[in-house]
Amino acid sequence: MSKDVLVVKDLNMHYETLAGNVSAVKNVSFSVKEGESFGLVGESGCGKTSVAMSLLQLQADNAKISSGSISLDGIEMVGMSESELRKVRWDGISIVFQGAMNAWNPVVKVGEQIREAIREHYPNNTKNENTEKIESLFKMVDLDSSIMDRFPHELSGGMKQRAVIALALSCDPKVVIADEPTTALDVVIQDQILKEIKKVQELLGLSLIYISHDIAVIAEMTDQMAVMYAGSIVEIGPTDQVFSNPKHAYTRLLLESTPSVVGEKKKLRSLEGEPPSLIGEENGCSFSPRCPDPSDKCKSGNSEMGLIEVADGHFADKCCVECG
Amino acid sequence: MAEYIIRRTFQMTIVFFLFLIFSYLLFNAIPGNAFSNLLLNPNLPPDAYQRVLEIYGLDKPLLERTQMYIVNFFKGDFGYSYKYFPKTPIELISERLPRTLMLFSIVNIVAFYTGFFIGKVLAWRRGSKAETWITVTSVFSYTVFYPWFALMMLWVFGYKLGWLPIGKFLYPEKWYDAPFDSDVVFTSMIKFTVVISLIQFAAYLASRGIESLSLRRNIRFGSLITIFAGSYFYWNNGDALIQKPYASDIAFHMILPVMVVTVVAFAGTALLTRTTMMEVLKEDYILTARAKGISQKRIRDRHAARTALLPVVTSFIFTIVTIIDGSVLTEQIFSWPGMGQLLLQSVLEEDIPVAMATFSFVGVFALIAHLLADVSYSYLDPRIRIKSQG
Ligand SMILES: Nc1ncnc2c1ncn2[C@@H]1O[C@H](COP(=O)(O)OP(=O)(O)OP(=O)(O)O)[C@@H](O)[C@H]1O
Ligand SMILES: [Mg+2]
Repeated sequence: MSKDVLVVKDLNMHYETLAGNVSAVKNVSFSVKEGESFGLVGESGCGKTSVAMSLLQLQADNAKISSGSISLDGIEMVGMSESELRKVRWDGISIVFQGAMNAWNPVVKVGEQIREAIREHYPNNTKNENTEKIESLFKMVDLDSSIMDRFPHELSGGMKQRAVIALALSCDPKVVIADEPTTALDVVIQDQILKEIKKVQELLGLSLIYISHDIAVIAEMTDQMAVMYAGSIVEIGPTDQVFSNPKHAYTRLLLESTPSVVGEKKKLRSLEGEPPSLIGEENGCSFSPRCPDPSDKCKSGNSEMGLIEVADGHFADKCCVECG
Repeated sequence: MAEYIIRRTFQMTIVFFLFLIFSYLLFNAIPGNAFSNLLLNPNLPPDAYQRVLEIYGLDKPLLERTQMYIVNFFKGDFGYSYKYFPKTPIELISERLPRTLMLFSIVNIVAFYTGFFIGKVLAWRRGSKAETWITVTSVFSYTVFYPWFALMMLWVFGYKLGWLPIGKFLYPEKWYDAPFDSDVVFTSMIKFTVVISLIQFAAYLASRGIESLSLRRNIRFGSLITIFAGSYFYWNNGDALIQKPYASDIAFHMILPVMVVTVVAFAGTALLTRTTMMEVLKEDYILTARAKGISQKRIRDRHAARTALLPVVTSFIFTIVTIIDGSVLTEQIFSWPGMGQLLLQSVLEEDIPVAMATFSFVGVFALIAHLLADVSYSYLDPRIRIKSQG
């Protein structure tokens, strides 16, 4: 059994806005083991990016982590000073941003931007060592090494994305977060990039956190997964278990609303209703208004929340397990 | 790139040609006898007067005269000043130009650097008290009525406090027994400034490729020290030592105009930098840089400011274009005998050859500066480079 690299416990994060506090991350706990790929899935606005940003402590200025702990290799990151954080960033946890197409500074050469990251964390490297490192990274993501001397606008979207992956790997991080890395790409390229990430992850034994709204991609990419709804994790467990035996009504709806390429043709169900507002406190089960079959207790807003173990390592929201 | 520059130069020549014809016609449209000045000039013997009339066709009809002027112009013959007869416009310009360049290049460089630096910090410290106050001050100095402000400063520092000289660029009494005239000193001051800037720039270029950031910093710091030591050595040896008291007299006279124009000029750069920089700070690649663990200062200077620089540099170069015409007002207020005064006097006195030559000079200067702006822009922003090549 390999050890946990990243452990997140009861993380709460909110944005302070004029309309009130937006609780984007509520009591989120999960852990990622060495060499394991962990998936985070949920519809738009459920707080996936907020979790990712909290892990790097790069949240927006109006965001506050109110409680919880994030520990990387046993070292607590919540409450770290800026200079300590700078050391952990990229070297400990790196990220491929959502919309990574804009991740490149338009006036600096691609190679120089990667070099800059390495130089920051390995100040004693020589120029040649860094060049070799970048070359080997490019090779890994199937890019020609001449790309180094190009400016970002000279690359295609797919090339930029590959280069972003190379950038994320440049300091041999312990954990890589990929936040919907394929959003802006066409389907063929999306597929290539996914394969690339998978290949690199297995090759290097990376711990990967893969974030997506597409549950089919999560199935393909990850060993463990968590389903997020309105800022909370509502179901978490080994990916194949969650797929074969979904316990939460929301997970089932997600699965039913996704076309499967393989397997028998099913009638797709569309996910009805809107996710709830994250502003202010709410009582009871947040999924209740959209639940196809809520119990009376759930509807009255008195149900207890919290995850319970439904099978070995597989947890789901108590209310929903009791409902269905 | 080369092809682009050639094409632009060709276009510029045509524009300049039209400019020449147009201004010559305009000057001749000023009512009154344009060369009565020449006629009244006591230094001019009658036969010389006759010769000048013939060579430059001054008694010919306007169109013929214009044609002669243009032909002579491209032969490099600009005629003689009506007012200071034996002197040619070129002689007058080469006497005045260093004075204007010295004053205004210093003003512009100082204003640009302070403006850029302040704008950068303002954007970075957004929302702080200091930011609010400095922004308000910048808006004030950007919008203040300049002649009023300049006169107030003259009044305060030159008259009330008496710290700084009120006008002129030197104390004439100090120069009675000077072994050379002021232009020689001006020229060596300009040379000195240019050499310093080149050394600094070379050190910057040389250290750019170095991988270790601390070594890079040390080299740049070292070059600064070298420049200081070198300057000290230069002004205390040889020719420069003799020139030193005169140079410092000029420098002393420059303080007030430099200060006043800088206060007015920096604000535009500061406000523009602040705005563009605030836009850039919202970009995703700033977030990437932070995620990479890059230091705040480096993100500010290398990532944000570097991109925010683009529009600022353009506006800076367009300010340079207006150095000479902009100098009219300043030189008048500070009685600084430079190009601006020459321009104004020659127009008021209808000294057409001199006015034409100064105007053409301003025109060429503006055209070249615009070309430089485009070229430098394409270097700063690689996305533009492509277009200019294609
Ligand atoms: N800076 C901010 N200020 C206020 N609210 C914010 C801010 N950033 C995000 N939010 C809100 O927090 C919630 C979670 O946003 P987040 O970006 O984490 O969602 P997401 O799951 O990543 O969505 P997507 O799939 O669209 O990327 C949303 O309701 C969003 O409106
Ligand atoms: Mg997101």
